[in-house]
Amino acid sequence: MIRVNYLMTDVEIAKKKGEDSLNLMITTIQHSISYDETAYHLPVSFALTGIAVHDIQSALDVFARTSNNPLVASECILAEKTATEGKEPAPYTGFIDDTVIRKLGYSLVDGSILGLALVVGTPHSADSASAICRELQEKYMLTFLAGDVISSLSHAGVKLGLEYRLIPLGSTPAYGIHFVDMIARVAMMFGGVTPGDTHRLLTYAAERAKAIVIVFPGLSDPEIALVDGMRVLGFPILSVGEYRGGDWIPALPDAVVRRGMEIKGIRVNITAIPIPMGCSPAFEGKSIRKEEMYVEFGGGRSPAFELLRMLPAADVKDGQVTVIGPEIDAMKEGGAYPLAIIINVAGKMMKKDYEPVLERRIHNFVNYGEGSWHVAQRDIIWVRISKEVVAKGVKMEHIGKLLASKFRMDFPQLLDAVSVTLITDEAKVLASKKDADSVYDERDARIRGMRDADVNTYYSCTLCQTFAPNHVCVITPEHPALCGAISWLDGKIAYEIAPSGANQPIDKGTAINVLNGEYEGVNKFVKKASHGEIDRCSLYSVMEYPMTCCGCFECIALMLPEVNGIMVVNREYKGVTPSGMTFSTLAGTIGGGAQTPGFSGISKNYILSDRFLQGEGGIERLVWMPKQLKEELKTRLVKKLSDQNKSDLFEKVADETLAMSLEDLIVFLGHVKHPALTMKPLV
Amino acid sequence: MEYDLNFSWTGTIGHVVIGATRADGGTRKTSYTLGGGTSLPYLDNNPSSPSPLVALEICDNPEFWSPIIRRFCGDLIHSTSDWAKTAETVYGADLVRLYLTSTRVRNFSDIVSVGKTIESVLDATALPLIIEGSNEPGIDSDVFQKCGETGQDERFLLGTAEASRYRSIAAAALAYDHSLIAQSPIDVNLAKQLNILLREIGVQQDHIMIDPYTGALGYGLEYSFSAMERIRFSALKGDTDLAMPMICSAIDSLNIKEVREADPALQDEMAMQWEFYTGIAAAVAGAEIICVRHPKTVRMLKNAFADMKNNAGFSGVK
Repeated sequence: MIRVNYLMTDVEIAKKKGEDSLNLMITTIQHSISYDETAYHLPVSFALTGIAVHDIQSALDVFARTSNNPLVASECILAEKTATEGKEPAPYTGFIDDTVIRKLGYSLVDGSILGLALVVGTPHSADSASAICRELQEKYMLTFLAGDVISSLSHAGVKLGLEYRLIPLGSTPAYGIHFVDMIARVAMMFGGVTPGDTHRLLTYAAERAKAIVIVFPGLSDPEIALVDGMRVLGFPILSVGEYRGGDWIPALPDAVVRRGMEIKGIRVNITAIPIPMGCSPAFEGKSIRKEEMYVEFGGGRSPAFELLRMLPAADVKDGQVTVIGPEIDAMKEGGAYPLAIIINVAGKMMKKDYEPVLERRIHNFVNYGEGSWHVAQRDIIWVRISKEVVAKGVKMEHIGKLLASKFRMDFPQLLDAVSVTLITDEAKVLASKKDADSVYDERDARIRGMRDADVNTYYSCTLCQTFAPNHVCVITPEHPALCGAISWLDGKIAYEIAPSGANQPIDKGTAINVLNGEYEGVNKFVKKASHGEIDRCSLYSVMEYPMTCCGCFECIALMLPEVNGIMVVNREYKGVTPSGMTFSTLAGTIGGGAQTPGFSGISKNYILSDRFLQGEGGIERLVWMPKQLKEELKTRLVKKLSDQNKSDLFEKVADETLAMSLEDLIVFLGHVKHPALTMKPLV
Repeated sequence: MEYDLNFSWTGTIGHVVIGATRADGGTRKTSYTLGGGTSLPYLDNNPSSPSPLVALEICDNPEFWSPIIRRFCGDLIHSTSDWAKTAETVYGADLVRLYLTSTRVRNFSDIVSVGKTIESVLDATALPLIIEGSNEPGIDSDVFQKCGETGQDERFLLGTAEASRYRSIAAAALAYDHSLIAQSPIDVNLAKQLNILLREIGVQQDHIMIDPYTGALGYGLEYSFSAMERIRFSALKGDTDLAMPMICSAIDSLNIKEVREADPALQDEMAMQWEFYTGIAAAVAGAEIICVRHPKTVRMLKNAFADMKNNAGFSGVK
């Protein structure tokens, strides 16, 4: 075991001194310098300036042009050393030839390597060095090594070489320059960077080359200048040794890899979840009946809730699963136990607004489990785990693992870290439920407050253009997609996750008709997204330029001129409506991406929106709905109407038990004095 | 009645180069520059539009190939290189499209053989090549790496990238300077999305050909035709994310009932006719490369394209 004790090195001072010696050393180059097996000369110098360095004159020229860049100096000096002394013996690779670089670049684009790391210096112990390198290997990083770290790893029996993704560059940290010349060549081969285009090179290195540098103690001043020079390429320099000052990031050995990958946004894709039961959307539709159930939580039988929160990155340890209270093996078969599912997430792209949307995914993910079942949300959840999988060894811990992994898998752009806490201890569940309640309240307030007028950006959905080629859904806070499946927030998140996907932001622009909800920006977008077919689109009108319909609408709203009103029929209703047609006949006439004045495809929730039928005078136009739909919306609709002092309207809306035909409807509406009868004529 | 045959289009289809001659550092006898169109082909005002190229599709494990072709070609199919050679010398194809069906065998791992097969085809024919890599995500990385490396400097067209797996092909195209085929399932928006994904990973627009997925005549061709029209119209209206040349291969043509169950005496003729008419439709919709599997369809299409260009009607059309 190697133990080295150094005094703390001040990076700023060492860098200055190092740069001074590099400035001096480069002037002492005597021999011609070049590498075989590359078309890129001295790659760093060539990429930065377009000049092929082969001797002292060109070296000094490039050095001056790059304002005495320490990378250039280090490259030239090492090239001369290699030219005069020859390559170091195996295992050291020294300068890597173009063919190998091409293969490495291939693996980077291909995704079989996630990122690059340079590890230099003299580790405190072989153990800490090998732990760091093992972690890098496990996380699909290609690691380059320079300095004593190599002998330290060899002694510890760590296998080195390209096939192990650990490449020993050379015996001193100065060989770390080969890490930079490799990236310079990848940029020229793959990134379309032309030699001499410094700006593009730096952009490529910073944004595309996912590279980090880990520094152990023991670097000389020129080596410190070299490593510090890599910051210009956007590589974080993480020190696990005795360095202070400068812009180096101190880190503990067991956290350094994670820290570096976080800073560069390098994410490991999880592909298999290590739990003793299957996990797939295929299981989503299954239910677990009482006799199949081993244990259950919530559902009115015990207190249970779920909560997903965003926390600062430092407070979320990715993949951590904690169970507080009894595990499944301490629970009685057939029993009901308390449960809190608390998920903490962190991510650079994550926003507080996304919490509720992500929280809803707990429902899907728990149901993905072969033997786990979940219904409802927030503090009314109901969860069951089957006897079958408990017999296979499934515990609470595994439900936590499933959740942690699925969130990371499904939201790789959004989430950098996910940890899950499952509480089964009643007192602790109740205590933490208080926090959850206040979070729910805050969220309700925020969503309630969300109005179409409050935002300037709406979202489109063109997912259905596959079969309705010119259909464009416009989604606003008060107007969900007509399928009911995508809210404004969902659209926003979908766009952030997949910026080239089917949900695009729409700048609504100036209003053309506030009442109908017609906006200049929306029209412009719809025109383009409908391939020039649709010129105008009003968000809240059935009569004038209604939104196009794909075929997925939850309900159809259509005008009935005879009663001066609008009826709504939902997909589940199989009977004939007062219009004389069934839902499916109506759907056949209006779908396929067409705009059909007098007809509009809508979601169920839109009926509860303040913007519902705004162009036609509001909810007072609503004359008929199937009974089942009325029942489904009753609680919320009655409350909404009473808030608006229109409590009597609910009873005035007919259904099939009150009016089957248009004639019946005319009689019924007259009898109850429905407001639509006296409103402005629709046609 | 007079039609405006310019449709106030402003866009131009981008160029894609396939094949490198000795002058470009490769070994092909010719190099094709596809694309460049500013209108639809075969319109009266557009006599100069080039005819589509015709590629003959072959494979290196005939177990995965149509029995009709196996019977027609006889022993030829057991030598990938001879098969490739006849494509050029006997049947007059413009390109050879090699499907590495050998990689479809369960647990395939002989990556070295992939390189050898490609080398043998490069030796056997001087035509530019289209290489279809593996069909199995698990071996994509190795197979495409080998394809790319073996064909370095030859400017292959590599296939086939899809939205769910494009990284290895993109990497091979980037690393060894090949172009690639981007296939989406008969959908203009998905075609565009894939092109954007490819651009984001670094593949230049002039290295991409669009495969809109071609259904066989009577089995979805009309959907493909419509998707192609919309892709091409969008491009001509100025959408650069769709302004790439298109490649069509109605690979289902030989599997459909009418061909499969045809009277054995007529089966070859039926197969040729089916490929022929599907190919004509794809050409009219704007495809720059038409791929077929029956060797005799090649000449039929080439003759028809020549006649269409000369406004002489379609020879071979019955």
